[in-house]
Amino acid sequence: MTKITTVSFTRRTIMAAAGAATATLAAPRILSAQTKEVVVGGAASHKSFVEQIVAPAVEKKFGCKVVFEGSRSLVNLEKMQKNKDKQYLSVVMMDDPVMIPAVSEGLLEKLTPEKVPNLKLLKAGTIHMDGMWCNYLQPWLGIAYNPKVMPAAPTSWAQIYDPKYKGRIILPSLQNTEGLANLFMAAHLATGKPMAEAQKDIDAAFKKLVTIKPNLLTVYTQMPQAYNLLEQGEGFMISSAISQVALDRKASGAPVDIAVPKEGIFSMPSGVALVKGAPQPELGAGYVDVMLSVEVQSALAAKTNSLPTNKDAAIPPGMPTNATIHTVDWAFVAANRGEWVKRWDREMAL
Amino acid sequence: MTAPAVHTTAPSPWRDPVILLALPAVIYLLVVYAYPLLWLLMKSFIGPAGPTLQPYISFMSDPFNWRVVGNTLRVAAWVTLFCFLIGYPAAFALARAGALVQIVMLVSIILPLSIGAVVKAFAWQIVLRRDGVVSQLLVGLGVWDDPQRLLFTETGLVLGAANIFLPFMILPIYSVVKLIDPRLSEAGATLGATPFYSFAHVTLPLTLPGIVSGVAFVFSMSVSMFVIPSLLIGDRFQTLATLTGRSFLLMRNEQLGSTTAVILLTLAVAIVVGSTWLARRLGGST
Repeated sequence: MTKITTVSFTRRTIMAAAGAATATLAAPRILSAQTKEVVVGGAASHKSFVEQIVAPAVEKKFGCKVVFEGSRSLVNLEKMQKNKDKQYLSVVMMDDPVMIPAVSEGLLEKLTPEKVPNLKLLKAGTIHMDGMWCNYLQPWLGIAYNPKVMPAAPTSWAQIYDPKYKGRIILPSLQNTEGLANLFMAAHLATGKPMAEAQKDIDAAFKKLVTIKPNLLTVYTQMPQAYNLLEQGEGFMISSAISQVALDRKASGAPVDIAVPKEGIFSMPSGVALVKGAPQPELGAGYVDVMLSVEVQSALAAKTNSLPTNKDAAIPPGMPTNATIHTVDWAFVAANRGEWVKRWDREMAL
Repeated sequence: MTAPAVHTTAPSPWRDPVILLALPAVIYLLVVYAYPLLWLLMKSFIGPAGPTLQPYISFMSDPFNWRVVGNTLRVAAWVTLFCFLIGYPAAFALARAGALVQIVMLVSIILPLSIGAVVKAFAWQIVLRRDGVVSQLLVGLGVWDDPQRLLFTETGLVLGAANIFLPFMILPIYSVVKLIDPRLSEAGATLGATPFYSFAHVTLPLTLPGIVSGVAFVFSMSVSMFVIPSLLIGDRFQTLATLTGRSFLLMRNEQLGSTTAVILLTLAVAIVVGSTWLARRLGGST
């Protein structure tokens, strides 16, 4: 008897639970039928500017809801790979090096001026692989220094090789994206070739780069540590440093500034792309278009201490206005980075 | 001497229902540890065309990788030795201290464990820099002529790591020492043993189980540490653990990562098991 009661009780509970679950699951669907949703994948660090600047502008223009999923570039790539037949992300914001495998696996939809009219306003060199992705911002790489121990700002990338900075220079590891700038600049300094050509001469780059070893304080993989050392005065310069990070520290009162060396600066890859086979394709394109608009670009650049990619957008105060901006051949990097990291390990070791 | 006694009380340990108490732990470890570990081991033995040893052959044939193995073992050995040299006497002090002092000591050993390696490594960064405490002390004592930086050197790494792992040396030794009857040494002395003789023939053999587990703990933790070297010595000093981490996190080369992980695991297990065996043999022969 008891047994039977238990069974029927359980069944009833299950039915009730199932009913409740269906209702709960169905509710957001009903809601989303009313307000359309567009899901954007990006890095966790993008969350604040997406939610404060981009999303409100998109939502206002299209009457939709922007859902931002912040993780890491590689995680976004995996999300697209795993959902290849049923994508749920409409837009991805990833570093350029990660865009390349996404393109070769056919995960991205080409951006065209018909879908994204603001594409026509972008600076040269910010649309990649015939429109597979474009850059929505150019954080830039210069030399961060501590003005307390170095009252005169560095003026050249060659300065980090000066023996008077023995044990005072901090470099990013080659596994950090910002670390690549040193390699290319070393090749340029060694060969005197223009950057587009010099960045292919990695052998010359390494031969120059190893001469910096006596000057090295450390090679970091964790960026906060590098700034810690710089702010304490143990390190004098971080070559190369991301404008966004260095100027953020400066704004919070730390003894940090960033210099624009005479050889020019590098732009860091901040890419945005449309996902192939995505839901709400027109809203996805709308998101990218709004993101590239003059108003949003001006606000984004100011908030992130970066350069806008829309040529009509305002360049925030304190940003370099006439510096040479070197672009990096990311396909070449993607094809060779493993080998470079190997060589770096061997030649830069303690 | 004490270990065999346990076995003799339970002639067939498998039939003792007490063994069932380990079941939750066994199931937990099987699911979250043994299975993923096995999966990891397999990754490095399976190539695109079936079973292969190629990842191991190419790893071994690169002299740089031998340097990495050397770095890993050398640093772990120094850390373990350093922890032992300062932990062993500390364990005695702890075991023989009065109740209040003992509580204070235990708290000061155990509490820092809750801080986490990252915070400690950051603190060491301040201590070890050119104008840090260590440098000032050594210059003040006249050991060094000029202030020097220990940060981002192997010595700095050993100092920092030893600090972080020290409790894992002290506590196992302490738990053994507190069981030793202090009267044993006194008995030895009455029979004419010098303090050194009674230490070498009575105390040391009795503390051997504690030493063995302390060494095993510290060695296996320092051979596989990842965050501490990345903060205290940086990218210019690769160990098997940092190579493994990078293979998985940056290069997305699971096979290389699995290969280095398996090599690390094999070396660590071999050294820990080997030294335990050696210690027991030495302990047994006295």
